[in-house]
Amino acid sequence: MHSYRLGAIGIVVTFFIIIFSTVLLPMVLFNPKDSQHGNDYTKIDKKIANAERGRQIYVREGCFYCHTQFTRLQDRGYGPLVKAGDYVWETPHQLGTARTGPDLTNEGNRMPSEWQKTHLINPRTVKPGSIMPSFSYLSARDMNDLVGYLQSLGNRREVKNFVEAPEEYRTTTELGRALANRKTVDTNSSAAANAGRGIYTQNCAVCHGLEGYGNGPNALSLEKKPPNFSRPYYKQYSDEFWFYRTSEGVVGNRMPRWNEILTEEQRWYVVAYLKTLQQDSEVTINSIDQLNKIEDVHLPKLSNQQYEPHHGGHDYAPGADSMGHGEAAPAPTPTTTPSSTKPAPSSTSGSTTTAPAHAPANEGGH
Amino acid sequence: MGQAPNGVSKLSSAADKLFSKKEGSASRNFFLSALWWSLWGMSAGMLAGLEFSAPDLVRNVPQLAFPHLRMFHVNAVTIGWLSMGYVGSMFHMVPALCKTKLWSERLGNMTMWAWNLVMVGAFCTLLNGNTEGREYAELGTILDVMVATALVLVALNIYMTILDRRVKKLYVSLWYFLGSLFWFPLVYIIGQRTFVSLPGLNDAIIGWFYGHNILGMWFTTVGVGMMYYLLPRLTQAPLYSHGLSMLGFWGIALFYAPTGTHHILQSPVPEWLKAIAVISSIFLLVPVLTVLTNFFMTMKGRWGMVVTDMPLRFAVTSSMFYLVTCVQGPFQATRWVNWYLHFTQWVVGHAHLALLGTFSFILTSSVYYSLPRITGKEMYSQGLIRAHYWLKFLGFLLMMTSLTTAGLVQSAGWAMGIPVDQWGLTIRPYWFLRSISGIMIVLGQFLFAYNVWKTLYQKPVPTVAPVAAKTEVKA
Repeated sequence: MHSYRLGAIGIVVTFFIIIFSTVLLPMVLFNPKDSQHGNDYTKIDKKIANAERGRQIYVREGCFYCHTQFTRLQDRGYGPLVKAGDYVWETPHQLGTARTGPDLTNEGNRMPSEWQKTHLINPRTVKPGSIMPSFSYLSARDMNDLVGYLQSLGNRREVKNFVEAPEEYRTTTELGRALANRKTVDTNSSAAANAGRGIYTQNCAVCHGLEGYGNGPNALSLEKKPPNFSRPYYKQYSDEFWFYRTSEGVVGNRMPRWNEILTEEQRWYVVAYLKTLQQDSEVTINSIDQLNKIEDVHLPKLSNQQYEPHHGGHDYAPGADSMGHGEAAPAPTPTTTPSSTKPAPSSTSGSTTTAPAHAPANEGGH
Repeated sequence: MGQAPNGVSKLSSAADKLFSKKEGSASRNFFLSALWWSLWGMSAGMLAGLEFSAPDLVRNVPQLAFPHLRMFHVNAVTIGWLSMGYVGSMFHMVPALCKTKLWSERLGNMTMWAWNLVMVGAFCTLLNGNTEGREYAELGTILDVMVATALVLVALNIYMTILDRRVKKLYVSLWYFLGSLFWFPLVYIIGQRTFVSLPGLNDAIIGWFYGHNILGMWFTTVGVGMMYYLLPRLTQAPLYSHGLSMLGFWGIALFYAPTGTHHILQSPVPEWLKAIAVISSIFLLVPVLTVLTNFFMTMKGRWGMVVTDMPLRFAVTSSMFYLVTCVQGPFQATRWVNWYLHFTQWVVGHAHLALLGTFSFILTSSVYYSLPRITGKEMYSQGLIRAHYWLKFLGFLLMMTSLTTAGLVQSAGWAMGIPVDQWGLTIRPYWFLRSISGIMIVLGQFLFAYNVWKTLYQKPVPTVAPVAAKTEVKA
């Protein structure tokens, strides 16, 4: 009997530990403050539609079985990401667990009210192939309020800054303030931008391209491609963010830490130049011909054969070429010198354009 | 049925019939009610499935609109079919294991009527959309209170029966039943949130604590307890290891309850809670594999028995599906798999794998095993049982594969950012197959009900009461 008493105590204790950790603890520790970005049910005049009553219709009609109300990082086209504070007044929660239909987090104002109404009454007239049930049985008032509710959905969060520099670069910290105090460059001036342009051309253009389209000659061989600075997206970058990126590089790709090479002043000049590169629409680089040509940056050019150590040297035999390396163009003379102005065979990829960086050393070695 | 009227008054005879004191009547009535509501619940599910393939099948009938059908389907098969069947099984198995009678048949029958009243209420309210708007906890205030009361009464009945037992040691099934009947009423009361109004995300956390533990602390624990009872009884073999079974019991008790948050892994709830949920979901593999090792080792050398023994075949199929469910569950609870698979029909397939594939099968096995022993009548037709098995088994496999495939298509759509309108059309074949599977399963269930009906009411001459083989269950 004694052992069963222990067992009974065990059942009770186990359970209460779990209740404590997963029910009580979140209630105590997790109290998100109202973010002021929840659904605004007062947005629509109650005389037009009662959005709060519409929410009850939404619950009653079980919309949450097929429609969720939270956006995830990977969701595209469903608006800004939600935060914990958005849901303070959402009881019972309508987060949902299945998406047979689209997410409704930011459904408000996406479609005209008349469209919403038509879609609720007969979904397939406006969305052929939809499997949404028809809610034609809703009374006029219910329908009106439900559409009012749908139109008030949305976290009204306008994203201005997707990214921000780390704390130590911003003036919120001691380090950031010191950095700002040391800064002598006016990053908005064209003089600084001109100065930055020189530094950029010497150091950055080899990967990022002369105009910043990400089409420098090195870009071809990089697994992670350099960004295209003409994208309007980069307009949101703050000076501090640009400076942080330039200084610390990017983990996981070949972008170096320039704080070990350039002085702080030089980096601010580069920032001033980078800020002038954004355009109203992105300049797309979709063809290899648009790559910054090597001759444009006035670097020595070598043929593929001279770069490849196995094919280099003066005793290169053209016959070896047909054996397997599939070079389409007839092999150029193997003795091309580094200073030759003859264009490289354009059909070869990668190694041709990466050649300049290593070529002199190879040439010497073989 | 019932005792002979003693002629004192019609009222008391009616009361005797309704609240019979006859041994086994509570169990039998719970089984019959469960079967009755399963027909409604599964038919609702089938119609809801048909509406995926033919969205305009029913128009302008709010009671038959998909969301209302879905609410009723879920509640009818969980609270109605599975829970009532579980209580019926416990009312049969606990006295058998304790070598005693049920503490109060009358109380059991009263609980049965209360529970049926709840289901009538659910039928009337949910189909009209009178819901609390919380998944798995849709029932309204009054019905919540009634379910909680009924659960407490069942717990009282079982606990008192176990106190009255004539064997010294508790078999592992009793451990499971005792644990479940302590845990589940509390989980139910906490999870309903009937009288509280929590901020949205806290509501979701408690909601999924409940939503997952209705499985973890009730369907799984009672279902596994039933398997522990049925497998040794049906195979006439001792349980492989009692120690292993206790390890499994405590593992489930520890690791099941905190897993709920894995349903909302990508919502803005606290990360530490998600971590607890994911870790305990993975740890669940330990008790699950322990339990299944025990089952499979008990079956060792007796697998051939499933050819002839239909209840055993249901039980073994159930344990196989349990293996699949419980490998799939931790797999999809991990963050990166969840990232890809969440929000899709894959999850619906998983839910059916647990509730239909595993627990409905074990309950069916229990009904086929227990009913002849309670009533002393052989099942009307073995052929119908076979037909039931194959319809349900093949229907379920079809449902599982079509839902899983549809889920993968949807996952790819969400992951690649393809609008719903575009991939919506590509999963139509799977909706169609799912409808077919639903029809097969419901047909099987109707055969089941017909078979039970014939057994109980249409066969006047009972065969010689089969001696319930009391196997040496290693205690």
